[in-house]
Amino acid sequence: MRKRKAALGKWLQAHISQQRYMTYVILIALSFFYLFPIYSMINTSLKTAEELAYGPLQPAGKLYLGAYSEAFQRIRKPFINSAIMAISATILSSVIGAMTGYILSRYRFRGSSVLFFFIIIGFYVAPQSILIPLVRFMGMLGIYNTYFALILTHTAYGIPITTLLFRNYFDPIPSSLVESAQIDGCSVMGVFTRIMLPLSLPAFAVVGIFQFTNIWNDYLYGLTLTQGVASQPVTVAVANLKGTTVAAWNVHMAGAFMSSIPVLVIYLFFLRLIIKGLLLGSVKE
Amino acid sequence: MYPSCHPVLLTSKNLRKQYKVCIEDVERNGKLQNWKRTIQIIAFLTPALVLVVTFVYVFLGWSGWLSLTDWKGLGGSAEFVGFKNYIKMFTNDRIFIKSLKNTLVLSGIFIGVTVPLGLLNAILLDLGLKARPLFRMIYLIPLSFSFVVSATMWLWMYAPESGAINSLLRIIGLGSLTQPWITSSSQSILSLAIIYIWQFSGFATLVYYAGIASVPQQLLEAALVDGASTFRKYVSVVIPLQRPATITTVVLLLMYSLRVFDLVWLTTGGGPGYSSQILATYMWRVTFNRNQFAYGSAIGIFMFFLSMAIIIPFLAIVRRRGEA
Repeated sequence: MRKRKAALGKWLQAHISQQRYMTYVILIALSFFYLFPIYSMINTSLKTAEELAYGPLQPAGKLYLGAYSEAFQRIRKPFINSAIMAISATILSSVIGAMTGYILSRYRFRGSSVLFFFIIIGFYVAPQSILIPLVRFMGMLGIYNTYFALILTHTAYGIPITTLLFRNYFDPIPSSLVESAQIDGCSVMGVFTRIMLPLSLPAFAVVGIFQFTNIWNDYLYGLTLTQGVASQPVTVAVANLKGTTVAAWNVHMAGAFMSSIPVLVIYLFFLRLIIKGLLLGSVKE
Repeated sequence: MYPSCHPVLLTSKNLRKQYKVCIEDVERNGKLQNWKRTIQIIAFLTPALVLVVTFVYVFLGWSGWLSLTDWKGLGGSAEFVGFKNYIKMFTNDRIFIKSLKNTLVLSGIFIGVTVPLGLLNAILLDLGLKARPLFRMIYLIPLSFSFVVSATMWLWMYAPESGAINSLLRIIGLGSLTQPWITSSSQSILSLAIIYIWQFSGFATLVYYAGIASVPQQLLEAALVDGASTFRKYVSVVIPLQRPATITTVVLLLMYSLRVFDLVWLTTGGGPGYSSQILATYMWRVTFNRNQFAYGSAIGIFMFFLSMAIIIPFLAIVRRRGEA
C-alpha cells in the first residue's frame, strides 16, 4: 500500500506542476459548491422515512425507491402535461422563428431592422409586466386552465429568441445559393423549404433544445394559467409536493429529481448544443 | 430574374445605383412576380407578428391602462384614477420601496460575486487541463435545474436544525459557524444571493470562456515572447479585453435577477417579514393574494420600464459593436 502511494506521489510530481496542482485544487473546491446540493437532493430522495431522522448527510442505506413511487403517483399527469406543452411549444416557436428569421435575414426591406428590434424586445419584457392581461386574455379565449393556454403562451414568448437565433444563423449563408435557386424559379416558399430548411437542421437542434429547456423549467406561467393536476405543468406539481406532509422530504426530493431528468439528460448528452444556444442568444445581439 | 437583382443586394445604396437598369427591367417585366413575393413575405411574417403584437405590445398597453384604474379583479368595476397607483407606490407604500431596495441589493450581491467568479472559472478552464470538459459540465449543471428544483434543494440545505449546511458545519467541528440562513431577516437576502450565484455562475463562465477564446492569438504570442508569466498574461492581456463579455454578462444577469420569481417565492416567500420581498414576488402578492389588480399592473409596468432602461442601452452598444 505504502509503496503504491509513493509511486502515485512520484507520478503526480512528474506529471503535474505546482500551478496545475493549485488549479485542480480550486476547480475541485468549486465543484464541491456546485455539486453538493445536487448530491444532497439525490441522497435524500433515496432515504426511507426513518433514515431521514439520521440527519441530511448520512448516505442512504440501500436503494429505496418508495419515495420515487409515491412522488411518481402525484406528478405523473403533470409530467405528461409538461411533455405535451414543452414539445408542442418548442416545435411551434422554432418553426415560426425560422420563418421570421429567414425573411428578416434574406429580404431586407424598408423598416425590416426596426421590425427585428420590435420583435427582439419581447425577449426582455419581464413576465410580471404582462401577466394580468395574459390571464384575462386566456379567460376570454376560454382556454384558461388548459395546456393549450400554456402552449400558446410559450410559443408567443419564445418567438423573439427563436427569431434572433435563426436570423443570426441564416445571415452568413451565402446569397449565391439563394440566387441560383431563384433563377431556377423558386419562390420565397421554395427557397425556404428547398435551401434554408435543409441547411438549418443544426440550428433547429440548438434552438429546439434551448426552447425545450426553458419551457420545461417554467413555473410562473404554469402557476398563473392552470389549477389542478389535469392541466398543470410538472414544476407546479413538484412545488405543491412540499405542503402536504411535514416529514415527506424524501418524496419532495424524489419528485424534484424526476422532474429534472429530461433537461438533465439533454445537458449530459447535448452540452455542446446547449452552450451554442446560450452563446448565440447572449453574445450576438 | 437577374442574379444580381437579389433583394439583399438591391438594398445596398451603391448596388442600387449600379443595377438601376436591372431594377427597372425587373419592375417592367416582373410586376406580377414582385406582387407574389410581397404577399409571400407578408404570409411568412404574419404568425410572428400577430403573436408578438398581441402578447407583448397589446398586453403591455392593456397593463398600462389597468395601472391607471382602480380595478380590483373580476366582477369589480374599473374607474380611471390617473397616476394615483404610481404616486401611491413611491409615496405611500413602504413595502414597495423595500422590495425595490431588496431587488437592487440582491442584484448587487449576485452580480458582484457571479461576474468575478465566472471570470475565475473561465481562466481556470482556459489553463488547458485534460479534465476541462468534465469541469465545464459540472459548472453548467446547476443551470439545468428549474428554479422550483433549486428552491427545493436549497430549502433542504438551509434548514437551521436539520439542514445540510449546518449539519456539515457541526460534523467538521465548526458548530459555532452555523447560521439561521433564510429564516433570519438579516440573512435572507444573502442566502438567496448564494442560490442565484450557484445557479448562474456557470453561465457567466461560459460567456467569459468564449470571450477568452476570442482573444487574438498574436497578442498572446507577443506576451509569450516578452516573457510574461501566465499570471501576467491574463492580467495584462486577456482580462482587459473582456469588456464586451462583462457588459453582456452583467446585463443578462440583471435581467434575470429582476424577473426571477419562483426561486424567492418558494424559499422565503419574501420573508421573514418583508426582509426578502422583491419586486417580482411583491407584484404577485399584491395582485393574486390581495386582488389589487390595478396596483399590481402598476408594479408590472414599473418593472417594464426598469428592464427597458437596462436593455435598450445594451442593444445600442451591441449594435454599435457589430457595425464597428
